[in-house]
Amino acid sequence: MLLRDALKTATRSLAHSKMRSILTMLGIITGIASVIIIMSLGDSAKQYIVGQIQSMAPNMINVQPGAPVMGGAPSSVMGLVVKTLTRRDVEALEREPSITNVSPNVTGSSRIVSGNKSKSTLWIATTANIFRMTNLNFSSGYGFTSADETAYKHVVVLGSKLAEDLFGYNIEPVGKTVRFEDITFRVIGVLEPKGSGMFSMDGYALIPISVGQKQIRGIDYYQELNIQIDPTYDTAFVKTRIISILRTSHQITDPTKDDFMVTSMDETLNTLGNIMSILTIFLAAIASISLIVGGIGIMNIMLVSVTERTREIGLRKAVGATDNDILQQFLIESVLLTFAGGVIGIALGAGVVGLVSFVLSNFFSIGWVFAFPISAVILGLAVSGISGIAFGIYPARQAARKNPIDALRYE
Amino acid sequence: MIDVHNLQKEYVEEETPTRALRGVTFTVNKGDFISIMGPSGSGKSTLLQILSFLDRPSGGSYTFEGKSIDDMTDQELAHVRNKDMGFVFQSFNLLSRLSVYDNVEIPLLYSDILPEKRRTLVEEAVRSVGLEEKLNTEAGKLSGGQKQRVAIARALVTDPNIIFADEPTGNLDSQSGLQIMEILESLHDKGRTVILVTHETQTAEFANRIIRMKDGMIESDQTIATRRVRSNLK
Repeated sequence: MLLRDALKTATRSLAHSKMRSILTMLGIITGIASVIIIMSLGDSAKQYIVGQIQSMAPNMINVQPGAPVMGGAPSSVMGLVVKTLTRRDVEALEREPSITNVSPNVTGSSRIVSGNKSKSTLWIATTANIFRMTNLNFSSGYGFTSADETAYKHVVVLGSKLAEDLFGYNIEPVGKTVRFEDITFRVIGVLEPKGSGMFSMDGYALIPISVGQKQIRGIDYYQELNIQIDPTYDTAFVKTRIISILRTSHQITDPTKDDFMVTSMDETLNTLGNIMSILTIFLAAIASISLIVGGIGIMNIMLVSVTERTREIGLRKAVGATDNDILQQFLIESVLLTFAGGVIGIALGAGVVGLVSFVLSNFFSIGWVFAFPISAVILGLAVSGISGIAFGIYPARQAARKNPIDALRYE
Repeated sequence: MIDVHNLQKEYVEEETPTRALRGVTFTVNKGDFISIMGPSGSGKSTLLQILSFLDRPSGGSYTFEGKSIDDMTDQELAHVRNKDMGFVFQSFNLLSRLSVYDNVEIPLLYSDILPEKRRTLVEEAVRSVGLEEKLNTEAGKLSGGQKQRVAIARALVTDPNIIFADEPTGNLDSQSGLQIMEILESLHDKGRTVILVTHETQTAEFANRIIRMKDGMIESDQTIATRRVRSNLK
């Protein structure tokens, strides 16, 4: 039997029971749509997060104190106090031509009080160049300067959300005072809102490094160094230079004894991208369970169809159809069902993804990117086709094995 | 054309063996018009099924056009059924949702005839049974007589050498039955071999040879010089 004839026969058979065909396809439609939605939204989320990091911290390299534990995060991140990053390191790094800025920081958590309002928040003590390095803009006021650092000035820059919590909508915070750690700070600037992204500074308070490090924490080490590199240099090269400078500064000769960990933004982005991809694949795999359920539905209906059309099978065999002809006919019907379900599922998925993007962009002011990866479409079509074969082969074999005499006698 | 010798067929139903054929021997020559008659359970339908390659014998030999059925694969049997045999069933076995055209075309789908030649063949076959005006009518909307004529057109469309008819008039009124038998008679007159199974004497008398069966064996094999008394059917 020619493929063209088999397709025509199968299409006609499916069209004859339209409602049943549509209902049978529902399982595959929802399964494929779920996979498409998860993959597309996963891709959008990845682009969004990567975009956030890139916009906030271009050409950045981060140094954490402490050696990497088991090849992963440095010991400082694991909760240990590591005192290896000091002013001497910063000065050594600032002399490197491929580095444009070095911003050390110290963090802490305090309850900030303004009048009768208070808020428990994270403060970051850092240098003035952090505002240039991370593209932070002000909705009012300005940032502190190097002179403020040197003079131990008690000034603070508030994140937009923190300012709103402490002062409300109607009061301009700049010029007002807040108090934490027994120090009264004058608010000199409020940052522009960055939204609800994971790198948002909206809930933070920024103070000069000297005040946070010496007066509040009373320490002489830093908890982190953020380094901005000259974009004309290769990131990998600059990273090598930083490692070399810090080893010299820390008098380390054995590379396995490093007491710091250097991570470029590229590496962070790659790691984050990999995590997002794995998470997306994991979720898509869970969603694909519904495809199995849909496939079982297809198998069930195809078995019913084989039983209903027993006499037809007998007739076709009597007039010359071979077992393979019958197998092919029912397999094509099954694949057509799942493939059509796949196409509808892809369209439905695209619609949902488009709607989510529209809502997030227009109603939540999130710079969400509509992503509809071609790989998801190819995967959707391939999976639907394969499930047609996988779940159609058993009913098709049942049909092909029917004895023509018994089939012709079937009532 | 067909040579069967000591043909046996045994079925096992619910662990009880049933011998449907108990040593049938006869020859079919090209151009024969044979009626196989007999009471229910005599084995006539089983014999027709084996002769038409729908079933295989349990014992004995069956040679078709000089080739033993034992030497043929199921695929080869299907090919011979498609190319050399036409089938007419008592219950028509039409696909009621398909048009007359589509029903008649079915055997051609499994042949090596090119798609562009099919339309001509289908139209010729439908014209030969006088239903050219019903070509696009759904088979389910036809009368019983018309359905059987469509079934005959379907049997003819591959231009087979031999036509097997199993109680072709069994579901028809006498007038329609006569029309069907006249069509089969005309096919025989054009040189085709026709083998039909019937329990109606009037129908059987259209043949030039009547084989009577009883208890799985041939009771008589009679050649008739003068064919049927047509008035009996009218």
